Amino acid sequence: MKPMLSTDLNVSDTTVEKAKIEVKNLNFYYGQSKALKDINLSLPERSVTAFIGPSGCGKSTLLRVLNRIYELYPKQSAEGQVLLDGKNILDRSQDLNLLRTKIGMVFQKPTPFPMSIYENIAFGVRLYEKISKAEMDSRVESALKRAALWNEVKDKLNASGQSLSGGQQQRLCIARTVAVKPEVILLDEPASALDPLSTAKIEELIDELQADYTIVIVTHNMQQAARVSRQTAFMYLGELVEFDRTEKIFTSPREKRTQDYITGRFG
Amino acid sequence: MSAVSEAATSSAMRTREATVRRFAFTDMVFRAATRASAILVLVLLGGVAISLIAGSWEALSKFGISFLSTESWNPVTENFGALAPIYGTIVTSAIAIIIAVPIGIGIAVFLTELCPRPLRRPIGIAVELLAGIPSIIYGIWGLFVFAPFLQTTIQPFIIWLFKGIPGLNSLFAGPPYGIGLLTSSLILAIMVLPFITSITKDVFDTVPAVLKESAYGIGCTTWEVTRRVTIPYTRVGIMGGVMLGLGRALGETMAVTFVIGNAHRISASLFAPGTTISATIANEFTEADGAIYTSSLVALGLILFIITFIILALARYMLLRIDSRTGA
Repeated sequence: MKPMLSTDLNVSDTTVEKAKIEVKNLNFYYGQSKALKDINLSLPERSVTAFIGPSGCGKSTLLRVLNRIYELYPKQSAEGQVLLDGKNILDRSQDLNLLRTKIGMVFQKPTPFPMSIYENIAFGVRLYEKISKAEMDSRVESALKRAALWNEVKDKLNASGQSLSGGQQQRLCIARTVAVKPEVILLDEPASALDPLSTAKIEELIDELQADYTIVIVTHNMQQAARVSRQTAFMYLGELVEFDRTEKIFTSPREKRTQDYITGRFG
Repeated sequence: MSAVSEAATSSAMRTREATVRRFAFTDMVFRAATRASAILVLVLLGGVAISLIAGSWEALSKFGISFLSTESWNPVTENFGALAPIYGTIVTSAIAIIIAVPIGIGIAVFLTELCPRPLRRPIGIAVELLAGIPSIIYGIWGLFVFAPFLQTTIQPFIIWLFKGIPGLNSLFAGPPYGIGLLTSSLILAIMVLPFITSITKDVFDTVPAVLKESAYGIGCTTWEVTRRVTIPYTRVGIMGGVMLGLGRALGETMAVTFVIGNAHRISASLFAPGTTISATIANEFTEADGAIYTSSLVALGLILFIITFIILALARYMLLRIDSRTGA
């Protein structure tokens, strides 16, 4: 089975939109084993793209290529091209720290840093910008408001980030990511460890954030993909099976494997 | 349900109850045994403390509190004061920790974050082997190799370097004996290094990968991840390692006895010979004739016991304060 010519599809569906990230002929290896096979897709700017598929299909791997976080580990390697605004980020000359300030990431489990709520946000900002205390205060406040967390934490900004509830911690992580003003936000199953109420809040947040950011979300929850995303990519065994507008994927997929997965016949 | 299977069920229940009763008994034995072991520790600690106090009573009642503030240690006139050994113990241990902590943390960071995988095990094992070298070996190495080396090269250089600088010139004043406080500190630093390194390395390994990924994910460099995430996350464990190292440094006897010079005096210079509590006890126990002499040595032991106790208590208190401040 050949992978879908997703770029073509994309052009027809979202002709007016500029591609923020283009993945071209991407292969990925964990040591000898090939985890991604010739992936091609194009993520339009300022919209939400969901990656779905059964466990081990490579969707998280694909996400981890986009900010090259995989490079923390030896023996993982990518070949092909990932273009961010037309520039190949897999190029050796790409500065990794700079790349990661442009492409923020939120993980499955909340990962507040071992410092206060305020510092959790100020820390990332301070790495690349020298700003006054007053500016920092307003930066922290706006990031927390952005993540719909401000009202819950404004009286205890000096408390430890780890003292918050799981859902609050995850929104803190999103606030932290937003505060460094990235262009792209990668979300790796951001709600899978959260209760339904917190999940709803996160989804609302994703919906609001897409006005300013290009968002990529990996999720196991197909309803979630249907709710929050504009495009959906279905992956299976390291291949990109189908990539299309979300309503098309969930109502009239072109591929039988996609249909089988979304109707729950496997995966 | 048939009668046969009911009978089978009830007999199964009976065996199960018997088993539960047997478990209850072994569980009770187990609980008593573990409780006894825990109490044994307290009994031992109490026993050591009591025998130290009893043994040192004669000296303490004769010299009183001035035992702590007297520098002279004169077996001939039977006039003893513990100030010089206390000073030596604290200074050598403090310098050892100051040297060993940054190096130990550095090694741990290198091994967990930066080291190429094939080198990781050999270096880790080499560091841990340092802990396995008997202290007498450090002692003879220190006396016959390290001290002469310091005497002929490093010490003259440092004395020359700081000659005109007030403060430093008295801290590093000559003549270069080779042996002395600083040499002991360096040997102690080498000896406590593996403790600090291996504990720090172990606690670094407990930092969740995803936490580090998040920090890298907002653009942190390895230094920033280590400084702001890994070390704060593991500070309790690192403090534990440092305290263990400090405990070892305070009590270390043999290696220090070899290289400290065994002089009962307090000098401003770190190059001067001095003594520590444990070195004094080890050196003089055999020649301690007279009850007051022996009792003074036991009193030194009691002081070491108390110093170690205070340091551990302080460490606990500091950790508590850090934890309550950040709410971690």
